[in-house]
Formats: sequence, C-alpha cells, structure tokens
Amino acid sequence: MLKVSHLKKSFVSPERENIKVVDIDNFSLKNSEFCGMRGESGSGKTTFLHLLAGILSPDDGVIELEGQNTVDLNSSEKDSLRAGTIGYVFQSFNLLQGFSCIENLKLAMSFGSNYSESYAEDLLKKVGLAHRLSYKPSQLSIGQQQRVALARALVNKPKLVLADEPTGNLDSKNAKNAINLLCELCRETETALLVVSHDERVVSNFDRQVDWNEINNTDSEG
Amino acid sequence: MSSRGIKQFIFSSLIASLSIAMAGGLFLSTWKIKEGAQKSFKLSSSGFDAVLGARGSKLQLILNAIFHLEASPGNLDWEQYELIKNTRGVKEAYPLAVGDNYMGFRIVGTIPSLLTEHEWQEDTQYELNRGGRVFSESNKEAVVGSFVSSRLGLKVGDTFHPYHGLTFNESSKHDDIYVVVGILSATGTPADKVIWVPIKGIQHMEGHATEYANSISAVLVKFKGIAAGMELSMKYNRQGNQATLAWPIASTLADFFKRLAWFEEILKAIAYLIALMSSLIILATLRNSMNERKRDFAILRCLGAGRTFVTQVVLVQSLIISFMGAMGSFLIYFFVNTIASYFIRKETGVMLEPFTLDLNAWYVFLTIIFLGLVSGIPPAISAYRVDISKNLQHTT
Repeated sequence: MLKVSHLKKSFVSPERENIKVVDIDNFSLKNSEFCGMRGESGSGKTTFLHLLAGILSPDDGVIELEGQNTVDLNSSEKDSLRAGTIGYVFQSFNLLQGFSCIENLKLAMSFGSNYSESYAEDLLKKVGLAHRLSYKPSQLSIGQQQRVALARALVNKPKLVLADEPTGNLDSKNAKNAINLLCELCRETETALLVVSHDERVVSNFDRQVDWNEINNTDSEG
Repeated sequence: MSSRGIKQFIFSSLIASLSIAMAGGLFLSTWKIKEGAQKSFKLSSSGFDAVLGARGSKLQLILNAIFHLEASPGNLDWEQYELIKNTRGVKEAYPLAVGDNYMGFRIVGTIPSLLTEHEWQEDTQYELNRGGRVFSESNKEAVVGSFVSSRLGLKVGDTFHPYHGLTFNESSKHDDIYVVVGILSATGTPADKVIWVPIKGIQHMEGHATEYANSISAVLVKFKGIAAGMELSMKYNRQGNQATLAWPIASTLADFFKRLAWFEEILKAIAYLIALMSSLIILATLRNSMNERKRDFAILRCLGAGRTFVTQVVLVQSLIISFMGAMGSFLIYFFVNTIASYFIRKETGVMLEPFTLDLNAWYVFLTIIFLGLVSGIPPAISAYRVDISKNLQHTT
C-alpha cells in the first residue's frame, strides 16, 4: 500500500548549509501492516512522516500510496489525501483546545467524505471516553487527551496511520495502553500503521521493526 | 471555527466591534441627522415663501411663525395682513396670532383656509383624521396637531381651557372653553405640534388686552413668482420701517445651517478617524489571534483542511467582527438619533423620524462589512500561507 523509493529531502541551515535530512532508497508497507521505526530524536523521522503525509514536498523520489504517486499531487489533492487516506497521531496530541472531544473528531471528519456523528461517538466510546464527549482537552488527563488524538486519527477510516512519537508525553503505563489501543483500533479497521519513536520499548511492540538509521542514508544527527 | 476564534479572543474582538460600531454609529448619526434635519426643516417651511412680521430678525420671524418657536418679535395690525394679501403677486396670505398655550403646546390662531386650501407641500393639503372637521371662524373650536393629540390624548369632542403665555402656567388659565373638532393627520412638520384655533379666538380671548383684538403676530405668504418676493422685500426691508419680510425662507434657513456646517465636518472627520482606527484594530486583533492560531491552522491542514478553508475561517471571523460592529453602529445610530430627535423636536419643533434605514444606511452597513473584510485580508493571507510543518510542535 505504501512504496517509497529514492526519497530525498534537504533543508538549508541558517548558516546556508545544505543539510540532507532524508535519503531513503526503498521503504514499503503492506496493507494492514504494522511497523515500528526506531530512531534518535532529531534524526529526520518527523520530516519523513511529513513527506509521507504530503505536508512537505520531497526534493526527489517517489511516494506511492495505494498505487498513486503522491509527490505529483497538487495542494488540494494532498489535502484530500490527508483527510481521507492518512491518519496522523502527534506526540503532543495537537488537539484543538477550543473544541470538545467530540467536536475535535467531528471537525476532522468534516474534511473527509464519510461524516457520521454516531461513528465519532462510537470511536470515543471505544477509547473509553463515552463520559467525556463534551469535555475540552484541557479538562482531560494527558492519557485521555492521547486517546482522543488516537480516535481522531482514525475517524475518517484511513488506510494508513502515521504516529509520530505517540507515547512521548505519556508515562510508561499510559504509553503501553496507548500503543495497545492504537494497534487494536488499526487492527479492527484493517489500517496500516507506522509508528516512529526513539523509545525501544515502543518499537518492540511491533513484529516489524525498522531502524531509521539503516534505511536513511544520511549522517544527520539532529 | 470562526466564531470559536472570536470566542477565544473575545475581549479584543469586542473592542474591535465596538470601535466599528462607534465609527459607523457616529457617521450614520452625523449624516442622517443632518440629512433628516435639513429635509424636515425644508418641509417645515410648509409651502410658504415668506413671513411678514414685526420689525426684527428674519430668523426669529421664521422660527416663530413657521416653527412655532421663540417669542414673536412683536405684532402687526390686521391692516398689514389685508394689505399684503391684496398685493399683486401674492398668491396666498394667512394671518397668525400666538400668545396662548394648552399644557405647553402652542395655540395658534389663523383662518380656516390655511387648513383647507393651502398646500403645505406640493399637491398636498392638510388632512384631518376621520370624523374631524376644520374649526369654524366664529366658534371656539380647535383642530389639534397629531403630535399634540397623541401626547395629550385629545380627541374630537374633548374640551379644554387655553392658558395664557407660550409656556404652561397653571395659574394663567383663560375662562374660554374650546372644543376639539378635528385632529390633523401627521405631517412631520411643526404643524403637528400646535393647536389650531380661529384667529378671532386668540384676538378676543378672555383676559387679552383689547388692543390685541386688531393685531396679529405674523403673516405667512406665498408668492406667484420670485418678482413679487423681490419687490416686497425691497418695500418692507429697505424702504419701510414697520415690518420685516423674511424672504426667501429657504435661504434664511440655509444660512442658519451653514453656520452649523463646521460642526458636521468635525463629526465627520472624527468618524473617519474612528473608522480608520477600527480597521487597524480588526487587523491587529486578527493578526494577534493569527500568531496564536497558526498551530491550530497547521493542525487543521494536517487533518485535511484546505488552504481555502483556513483562509475563509479568518475572513469569516473578520466578517463576524465587522457585522457585529455594523449592527452595533445601527444601535448607536438609533440611540443618538432618538436623543437628537428629542432635542431637535424640543428645541425647534421639527420632528425627525426616530429610526430610518434607507438605502444610504445600507451603503454604510456594506462599507463597514467591506472594511472589515479588507482588514481581514492580510491575516487571511497569512493563514493561507501557514507552514504546516513548522507550526506543528515537536520534530524528531
């Protein structure tokens, strides 16, 4: 479902140096496959995910998602891709603070093509927040906020979920729960999952584990 | 999303709306009150070209005879009325006698034909409400202006005692009893504010000195053409020393308004400044909120929101602020206009409509919305260009 080849991305530093951040010859993910990607902080994993999600454009290479090269898509096609095909989970959750749990999900849903309030409610019930639908993120615990973020990533029934250090802000107990929940939700919906983390314990949860430094041909350390 | 943005920055959004409302309200008030006052004053000349009265100020004559304000500068003999009435070039002439009131409303003596024949505006004569008639020249009867009728509750068949003087004093009641025989339909002119009686009634009112039996306060005159006005103006104002002819009424009033023009210009300048300030406040409000909302927009973009969506959010937010401001400006205009109408009516007798939203008011409304929209463009562009990657926290 995902094939990456010869993907390259560089940035220009404030000192006007060209810094190569991503240089991947090949990477792929099958339908419904789960993959844990291990890598140090600042090594370019987020940039890789941003490239996959169409948030950044690569300097070179191909990202084939569901048989379509997403690099060639225009801006609004990439928006549609993010709305319908890709779910994104952030370390800092990135919930919209002015909106309640259910509104966060409904808003995300409004960009997709299958708007269903009952499905959003069901998802929140599934992550154990049936009694917190109208709570604002600030009224929830950190663990609960992450569960809302997980539900939001899946609300548009994506084909692929990209999780960027999803447990980075959680204690070990909540981290374990979050990963289990994420896997459970993706399994139920047959969604492929790519989790990137610096934490060995997180990556060890997945049958397929990838070392970022092995697939990324750069010397970048940060 | 836009309303949440406003909620999130409620204080600065309200300040922006309030300043727009003040600018719009001030502008509307200045413009509409001036327009309304000029229109009302123009209408209030009641279809006459000139006022003949005792020697004195033309403006005072007009204020007294047309607007029923101020004291009469003096009296004229009845013969003066007869003389001008029979002058070649004079189309109409109506004598007026003032000096009494009822509950503070002026009682004006005249002849019935003023209410039956005279056109107070082109092709429009005074009308009486159903069931009423004009007073008879020799009876103690009265036709009540619509404003007086609504204020005092006077209706056909009611009776009242006139009070001496132009201001109400309970101890100066006349013994005469007048019967209301008609209620004048509203004209929006000072005619609504008076009680019309036969001129003989004032002249022969119990308690009035006998010499008043043959005197009048002024004569309202309509000419057949401009030449008569010039001729009579020369006769009374340059050659004579007994009477003054206030002619033309419109130009005397225009001079009066010109004297007030500076004030209007200052108010306009203030309104423009506030409008400019309001635009800047909207801009600052949205820019400030933009700085704090860039992350929100980046999250939305990451969730699949298009550039157009986030741009619209900012523009709609600015539209909501300016819409609230525009509605507020109508509210401010309503209050200012109501208060101004009250004072203008109290001071000049002219009644402005309390609240009218004509096409021009809607132009102001749309201009405010347009200004709001323009002020929202820079922050909207900023939202359009928001860098998703940079504004999403945490990178690995």
